[in-house]
Amino acid sequence: MQPDEIQDESRCEAADPADGAEAWTPLDPAHVNVLRVRAAILAGAAVLIALPFDIGPLRETAIPVFAVPGVVLTLALLLAIVYPARRYRAWGYKEGEDELQIKRGNLIRVRTIVPFGRVQHIDVAQGPLQRSFGLATLTLHTAGTQGASVSLPGLRHADAEGLRDRIRAKIRQDLV
Amino acid sequence: MSEPLLEAKRLHPATLLVRWLRIVPQMLAAGVGLAAAGRSSQIGGFLLFAAIAAALGAVFAFLYWWRFLYTVGPGEIVIEKGLINRQRRVIPFDRVQDIAIERKLLARLLGTAKVRIETGGAAKDEGDLDSIAIADAEALRDHIRRGARAAAAESEGEAPAEPVEEPVLFAMSLGRLLYAGLFGFSLIFLAAISAVVQQVDQLGLIEWDSWFTPERADAAAHLVSLQLALGLAALILLLGMVAGVVRTVLRDFGFRLTRSEAGLRRRRGLFTLSEVVIPIRRTQVALIEGGLISRALGWHRLSFQTLGADKKEGGVQVAAPFARMEEILPILAEAGFPEPPPREAFRSAPKRALFRRIALQVAIGVALTGGAFLFDWRAGIGAAVMALLALAAALRWRTHGHADDERALYVTGGLLKRRLRILPYEKTQTISVTKGPIQRAMRLATVTVDTAGASAMNNVHMADLDEREAEAEADRLYCAYFRARDVLRGQSIL
Repeated sequence: MQPDEIQDESRCEAADPADGAEAWTPLDPAHVNVLRVRAAILAGAAVLIALPFDIGPLRETAIPVFAVPGVVLTLALLLAIVYPARRYRAWGYKEGEDELQIKRGNLIRVRTIVPFGRVQHIDVAQGPLQRSFGLATLTLHTAGTQGASVSLPGLRHADAEGLRDRIRAKIRQDLV
Repeated sequence: MSEPLLEAKRLHPATLLVRWLRIVPQMLAAGVGLAAAGRSSQIGGFLLFAAIAAALGAVFAFLYWWRFLYTVGPGEIVIEKGLINRQRRVIPFDRVQDIAIERKLLARLLGTAKVRIETGGAAKDEGDLDSIAIADAEALRDHIRRGARAAAAESEGEAPAEPVEEPVLFAMSLGRLLYAGLFGFSLIFLAAISAVVQQVDQLGLIEWDSWFTPERADAAAHLVSLQLALGLAALILLLGMVAGVVRTVLRDFGFRLTRSEAGLRRRRGLFTLSEVVIPIRRTQVALIEGGLISRALGWHRLSFQTLGADKKEGGVQVAAPFARMEEILPILAEAGFPEPPPREAFRSAPKRALFRRIALQVAIGVALTGGAFLFDWRAGIGAAVMALLALAAALRWRTHGHADDERALYVTGGLLKRRLRILPYEKTQTISVTKGPIQRAMRLATVTVDTAGASAMNNVHMADLDEREAEAEADRLYCAYFRARDVLRGQSIL
């Protein structure tokens, strides 16, 4: 266990918040576009839901034609254009010697530390939208319950695979 | 038992009777439903149906018994079952996490037992033998244990010693059991009664509407007096206490916790005798809790959150249901958990955390009070509820605290019931720092340590610490996890 003595120190320094504040790695900028397209799809769906009301029940009232779908569309588009950038900025990760740290959430901010020794298996997944932007989501599964799977979306596919391979190598080392 | 028992065996013949008794009522119940739908309510028809059900039940029970084979090998057990879809399951002994022997009343009369072999997989009935003779069950359990150990150590030839008397860690006398039952006050019988009423209602046998006519309600109103109401309340209270005692006695009769080689062995139950082994390696968090009154009298309950254990109890296994602190500490030590520090060592969340906790309730309460004056007095009820919720939140803030030493993190909490959780650092899975919008405005944050077998309601967290303190605490916990793990590793190498 002697060689670990030195490593031990570095482990704990890696997690030191004092010098770690600016060291977060951002996601790939293309992730903003993924979020935008997703929000736009949701906006379209919301308008589609609002339209029948506009033809039906709302005609009974004094509300003018297209007012409700118009408002819905404007709100949704605003959300689709403005909010994704904020959501993107909330994300970040730090690849440490023995752990991965992930921060996420705009309204509710969460920082999670996942020790590599606790990772049971790793997924790299790619949705159809992500694929067209060349992005992927890395998910670390642990034996825990609430934070059992920690996901990191918006990585370049090659980066996600590289990260996965490095973590895998470390887990293997850990087992020996 | 050195030579392998490779002959395929059937379940105990009494299984036939047990299964028959299980199948026939089900078929009869279905038959009653059918008859009600078809409106053929002649007694003769029903008897004929019952006879058919009984005969069919016998055939099914026999087929199940006949087509169920199990083979105990030196390193694995093979279970084959199914009439048309044959299923063959091989369970290697070194994958077995837990072997539970369960005996219901009928099984005890017949001298059989149900053996449940758990491997920690997802399937519900992974390896159930329902049921075999009790002697076979015990022999099988010992055989699997030895097999699992041999496979783990890969050392053969070492003849396992005869099972020695296991040291008793905790046992409950009948007196203590009855006393404990008094604190198990339960209104579950009310739920049972209402369930029965609902069932009867659904069958449509009683027409409630004809019972509750306005005239009758009037007459009843004259009868209802203060004495009657008080008497009824007293009766409900008494029944609740009796129900608590009965439930406790049924569940915890003959409670014994012993130290077995695999872990802590718990035996309990009056009619249904259950035996569970809590493997020490798989315990994650120790939980000591006490109700308002029982705690004041010095009684506590110790349980362990375990990995892959019975999901029925949410992964939490009781080790001592009603014990003094000085009885609990040796059990903790036996399971490898450190002793909790004294009360003074616990730190509570900052004062402003109290405002965070009650902010929402107070805001809604004030709005509702305004509403009560301006619009409708009934909004006042909502305001009162909010006041109660705020009080509960304040109480929770008061009881919430944490302490740490070189081995573990200790967190207290609870409303009326107090809970103390002991989390040894090496059991950490992930660590999170969470900040909601109100928390951010007040520079507060919550640290959550995820463990195996935890649930959303039952996890280790420190709510509303100072933001900076929370971040530092998360990093400290992370370092502590590594140190604890390396210490453990060093020990296992030496």
